[in-house]
Amino acid sequence: MTDQAPPNITGERRELISFRVGQQEYCVDIMAVREIRGWSPATALPQSPGYMRGVINLRGAVLPIMDLAVRLGMPMVEPTVRNVFIVVKADDRTIGLLVDAVSDILSITDDLVQPTPDVACDRVRNFIRGIISLDGRMISEISLDRLLPEREAVAA
Amino acid sequence: MDELEAIKVTFFQECEELLADLEGGLLAMQDGTDDGDTVNAVFRAVHSIKGGAGAFGLEPLVRFAHVFETLLDALRSNEIPSTQDLIAVLLRASDVLADHVSSARGLGMVDDAVSAAMAAELKAWTDPSYAAPPAPEPGVPVEAAAPVPFVMEPEESLEDDDLGFDFQPMTITIDEQAATVFQAIGDAWTVSIRPKSDLYRKANETALLLRELARLGPIQATLDDSALPTLEFLDPEAAYVTWTVRLETEQDEAAIREVFEFVDGDCELEIVRGEAPVDQALAALLNPVETAPAPEPELTIAPPVVEQPIIAPPVVEAVAPAPVSAPAPAAPPVAANAPAAAVAAKAQQIEVPGPGQSVIRVDPERIDRLIDLVGELVINQAMLAQRVGEYGIAPSSNLAMGLDELEQLTREIQDSVMAIRAQPVKSVFQRMPRLVREVANMTGKQARLVMDGENTEVDKTVIERLADPITHMLRNAIDHGLETPEERKAAGKNPEGVVRLAALHRSGRIVIEVQDDGRGINRERVLSIAVKKGLISPEIQLTDEEIDNLIFLPGFSTADKISDVSGRGVGMDVVKRSVQALGGRISIASRPGLGSTFTLSLPLTLAVLDGMVIDVAGETLVVPLAAIVESLRPKAEEVRPLGPVGAVLAVRDSFVPLIDVGLTLGYRDTSPSPTEGVVLLVEGEDGSRAALVADAIHGQRQVVIKSLEQNYQQVEGVAAATILGDGRVALILDVDAVIGLRRREPPRSADPTLIAAE
Repeated sequence: MTDQAPPNITGERRELISFRVGQQEYCVDIMAVREIRGWSPATALPQSPGYMRGVINLRGAVLPIMDLAVRLGMPMVEPTVRNVFIVVKADDRTIGLLVDAVSDILSITDDLVQPTPDVACDRVRNFIRGIISLDGRMISEISLDRLLPEREAVAA
Repeated sequence: MDELEAIKVTFFQECEELLADLEGGLLAMQDGTDDGDTVNAVFRAVHSIKGGAGAFGLEPLVRFAHVFETLLDALRSNEIPSTQDLIAVLLRASDVLADHVSSARGLGMVDDAVSAAMAAELKAWTDPSYAAPPAPEPGVPVEAAAPVPFVMEPEESLEDDDLGFDFQPMTITIDEQAATVFQAIGDAWTVSIRPKSDLYRKANETALLLRELARLGPIQATLDDSALPTLEFLDPEAAYVTWTVRLETEQDEAAIREVFEFVDGDCELEIVRGEAPVDQALAALLNPVETAPAPEPELTIAPPVVEQPIIAPPVVEAVAPAPVSAPAPAAPPVAANAPAAAVAAKAQQIEVPGPGQSVIRVDPERIDRLIDLVGELVINQAMLAQRVGEYGIAPSSNLAMGLDELEQLTREIQDSVMAIRAQPVKSVFQRMPRLVREVANMTGKQARLVMDGENTEVDKTVIERLADPITHMLRNAIDHGLETPEERKAAGKNPEGVVRLAALHRSGRIVIEVQDDGRGINRERVLSIAVKKGLISPEIQLTDEEIDNLIFLPGFSTADKISDVSGRGVGMDVVKRSVQALGGRISIASRPGLGSTFTLSLPLTLAVLDGMVIDVAGETLVVPLAAIVESLRPKAEEVRPLGPVGAVLAVRDSFVPLIDVGLTLGYRDTSPSPTEGVVLLVEGEDGSRAALVADAIHGQRQVVIKSLEQNYQQVEGVAAATILGDGRVALILDVDAVIGLRRREPPRSADPTLIAAE
């Protein structure tokens, strides 16, 4: 996707939506976000990894919901009505990311994005494109195309 | 370039329709149900394919179409009589033409040898001299004496490349010569043709027109190139020349005009009875064009002149026409006549069963989108109704009544939208006559295909998947069902076997029947083969019906020798599996000596599905109704443990493995006793049975199928998803996968009541 440009391209201002997962802050490119909705119970999918919460009906389309906390290796917390999911388009698929809350919209240039430090575990490093330091906050940008499991790998 | 590609796509779409028309017309001629226009329609189909192909420079296609067209043309002008033999040849030629079209499209290859042989055969029909010693063509005497610069002879031009890019040099007579030496035998006509550049642009060509004219009788064509500018002023794409043709024919003006049917509007045409001095005719034709470039009629018709002496046609337009004392209405000026004639010509064209008329081409994606939207509307409506019910609003209130009406409208919309996508099975059926011919040829049998119910409509999603099973069944019917002509004669039957292919609607499903009048299934042999191949145990007693159905077993083949057509033992079981994958069923009925009937029943659409809504471990699931044999509440004594963890259900003397859906799908770790729930007896695609244990059944419902793969991926055990009336997503169970999962998965619990194990 166009919004997945390498982080070292500078100059262009981009807008990101930041949100909280547990005590941490993450963000995704605003161009990938379709909408943000309140949590509603999902239909569980059998034979699926734990981070797949199931599927919901989004105006007639079957939308898979991914628990971002679990995907990032944090413990699963039963969602409440205060949780929201962010509907994003990654590759040609549309999925919902279950997060705790949406915080704000950031406008940044790519030179603000720092590479992910080595300390993080491999899984997290894989999902994170870079880290943005803003007003003393640390916000990690999610690499959407890596979140969903490969279709072929699972189908095989 | 893209634009050209787009036009090409349209051309190939039209080709499909034209080929269908062609075959349909030929079949009508074969059955004797044709009318006078059928042969014309058939000719036009081939001609249009040729024309389009010419525009795209598809040489092999054009060349073959041309030979084909020539023969059809001879047929249409009654030069050769229509016989069953000829039509059989034409049908085979239409197959080759279809091959050429596919090859031009980049799908498959044409067998050049077959094509060449076919072309030669076609040529031999039109021109016996092609195969035999040359004999003068009766209709076209060659006037050796006449000072004819250019005598068109069909035979000669046949050899020419039809695209006409390689014009043969032609001599041109001087005007006065042409005017003089005509012998006045028969009825003479003078036809002046002044092509417009459009004519060439549409891949037509005057040489073809002249040849068509030559079919009507001997012609003498004169070319007037006086309008041709010098080279420096020459527009290579413009048309400058005018032909004047003297034609002797018995035919009337309409016949001559018909020759120009395809170039209507693309050339100025003047047909005069009698022998007009060429220069006058030319003047008549050229003057208006040169002096009055204003609105000129596209088609100019001079009123017919009665007397045969040489009479110049009235000068058109520029001068007020002199009233003609002729049968034609005297007064109206020619210019006024022309539009009327043009209209008449148009009206004639509309009768042509051409492509695209009263049909809209719509991108199927748009219709799919519409169907999705209507599906959402149905769900929304159901949700609304549920809410209204929850609020306890009286059924007689305006709100509830309005909602009822909404429901009715929604259903009607859904039906209409589905009807848009519904197509007659004709598109599949029309490929079958060719198949039957080919298979019959290959197996040395005589077969006639009778089709019924081609207009039965079914959803596009189903249509696309009908072709394979039908192909298999037809092949099977001819290869295995029908006897050889000798055997048939010996059995007192018509040597030509009849295969009937029929489509009909029955109780919300489409039923396809393939029936042959062959020998029927040889049950003894089927049984012995099945035993020999170890497919069944020799002790089992089977009913006739059960024996017949053995042919659907994988690896079964009764053919004595493996033929090209069928007999590899991958036939009927593949058919059965693909049919069952569509939620359909297939069965066979056979009477020895009288033939067999395959019956295939399929849902009308793959967009919605009839399902049983069940409850498992708090989740709602949908089980396709087609898979369910029966549902029952098991009694404790019917559930028997088998091995450490397995259990089976006794159903009327047979034992069926019990599968807890909740356990298999991972919804729960331990399963309750099957006696507390409901058991659905299901049959998998391979015929294996299983008893699925569910907590409760909510009833039968039609659900809209939604793909899981679109946004996620395939999930084992789940065929698709759907949205229920409460707006929640429910998963549609993949019965076969669930049976398969049970076999593969290790047992998850030690609970002895039930298990997933083997």
